[in-house]
Amino acid sequence: MDTLALMGTGFLQALSPLNLALMAAATAVGVTIGCLPGLSAAMGVALLLPVTFGMDPATGLIILGGIYCGAIFGGSISAILIHTPGTPASAATAIEGYQLTLRGQAAKALTVACFASFCGGLLSCISLYFFSPPLAQLAMKFKSPEYFWLSLFGLTIIAGVSSKSMLKGLMSGVLGLLISTVGMDPMEGVPRFMFGQSTLYNGVNVTCALIGLFSMSQVLILAEKRIQARPAAAKFKDRFGLSRAEVKKISPTIVRSWIIGNIVGILPGAGASIACFIGYNEARRFSKTKQEFGKGSIEGVAGSEAANNAVTGGSLIPMLTLGIPGESVTAVLMGGLIIHGLQPGPELFTTYAGMTYTFFAGFVLVQFFMLGIGMLGCKGFAHIARLSDAILIPSIFLLCVVGSYAIHNNVVEVAIMLIFGGIGYLVRKFDMNATAIVLGLILGPIGERGLRRSLMLSDGDPSILFSTPLCWALIALCVVGLLSPLLMNRMERKLREKHGA
Amino acid sequence: MTRSDIGIVVIIYATCLLFLTMTLKLKAAAQVYPLCLIGGLALLNTLYLGTRLWRLFGGRAAQDVPGDAKGPGARPALVNDLPEIFANFVPGQFLFIVIASVAYLALMHFVGFYPAGLVYMLAVMRRLRVPPLHMGVTLAVLGALIYAVFTLFLKVPLPRGILFG
Repeated sequence: MDTLALMGTGFLQALSPLNLALMAAATAVGVTIGCLPGLSAAMGVALLLPVTFGMDPATGLIILGGIYCGAIFGGSISAILIHTPGTPASAATAIEGYQLTLRGQAAKALTVACFASFCGGLLSCISLYFFSPPLAQLAMKFKSPEYFWLSLFGLTIIAGVSSKSMLKGLMSGVLGLLISTVGMDPMEGVPRFMFGQSTLYNGVNVTCALIGLFSMSQVLILAEKRIQARPAAAKFKDRFGLSRAEVKKISPTIVRSWIIGNIVGILPGAGASIACFIGYNEARRFSKTKQEFGKGSIEGVAGSEAANNAVTGGSLIPMLTLGIPGESVTAVLMGGLIIHGLQPGPELFTTYAGMTYTFFAGFVLVQFFMLGIGMLGCKGFAHIARLSDAILIPSIFLLCVVGSYAIHNNVVEVAIMLIFGGIGYLVRKFDMNATAIVLGLILGPIGERGLRRSLMLSDGDPSILFSTPLCWALIALCVVGLLSPLLMNRMERKLREKHGA
Repeated sequence: MTRSDIGIVVIIYATCLLFLTMTLKLKAAAQVYPLCLIGGLALLNTLYLGTRLWRLFGGRAAQDVPGDAKGPGARPALVNDLPEIFANFVPGQFLFIVIASVAYLALMHFVGFYPAGLVYMLAVMRRLRVPPLHMGVTLAVLGALIYAVFTLFLKVPLPRGILFG
């Protein structure tokens, strides 16, 4: 079936009433999670992974995509109304958005954020449609040695997701790799590090680990601080909507931020939090009304929001085609794919092409839901953004327990989730990296199989790992993967200092 | 060098030792891959320790690290960063929530998921001074959500407990 036919079929399947209803619900849940300061998109997606178990994989992925996009946009609501970014991806939005609120233009700021997020997200789907298939075709040429280098390339991303110390990030990643060896040895068939638990026969359940590392650890982080009331959201004094002149004014910024967000999304180690600052900075650089920046510029809000939502589509490309999640949310989404028995890579564009294109179509439709829900529900979400941590703490804990129990109806997995919650808490407190652990956990089995199969084929001769041009290309990418995050971090730091965020 | 650095280094070495002990009990062919990872982790940890010690005894520590001994002739000092890491930490509240969570799991074993959840939610929200109306709304919304999604939609047989099972 050619690509156009697959796209058409994808839309037909995504447009089923059940899918549409679930898309709307998932986007609303995503916006709710995003607008609550302290809760991240990764946490939301991890927490709701178990809800997708009983569903068709395409529907499940559409739900997770809806939460992802909704959460990235949702962060802008609290950034604009209470000057507290709901997610790090909206840090730059708070600069201009809150200034607009202080000037009595909160509704305008939210309209711009919503419209720019919609455009950024929608345009990023174009990249998803056109860059994914050729990259997947390239991945078809991969054999065991290439898969080993590919997983190693994925692991170099660890350097990128490290917050302060690259060594701490790398240690977290290797710790993840070590945890991924728990379970049956894939070649020798002997049990490893199972502590007498038959539940660990197939290894540590990735969903349990994700819920623990991202959601349960958040409960502990919230639980340690004194509960404080959030500031009241500003009242809306103006009307929602944009004039034609305003749309014309922000359009070039949106297109520029779309390109920025896409590139940043595809790059390993970079994410929406970096894209929003680059988008904001470029909006300011190209603006004809630079004097408005810092006092409430709609171009600044559009630049940041279009860029962070354009990351969503871009970041899915390496995850779906090569199985390399570039940042925490895509790592969690990859966990979602694995739960449904799907291995990211070329097979998603051949054997499971129908499912993949349905997901793509759903991702496009989610952007429309985000626009509608964002515009209609802003006032409601403004109240939700004030929800107390005292309510969130026990509620999230209960959802963590029920979610991890639902995987195999097994209390042992609840215990595993709690252990990972403890690990996640310590990892966050001591500035190690939970995302790096997840990357190690996900990529570990792929790398181990690739390495050991290669060595088996060559009777133990390691030169097989350097035998093809593709191997060398991947080795070069590993080097780039290690170096590019250093540059990205430097750029983000400079931009943050420049804009005082 | 900070106190948290010492904690990290000790925990990572302990993890390496634990996995090494278990790896050495595996058959030879199955030992190679885990040993490579354990070696890699120990190497990174040693590198990390080395960089921290370099900062402590090398020239940069006195100027760079806040709280380090400063001034000419000052002796390198270990920085206690734990108060900074655990700033705003409320031990009583944290311990209550952790103990309540563990107690909830034990209670779930006896009375099942829903009754234990109700008791847990009420206890924690009361301790965190949530107004009664908000408590009621939260319990109703969360209860309905979990029942609709997990019991009705996903048909997950949530624990019913020894008493009701």
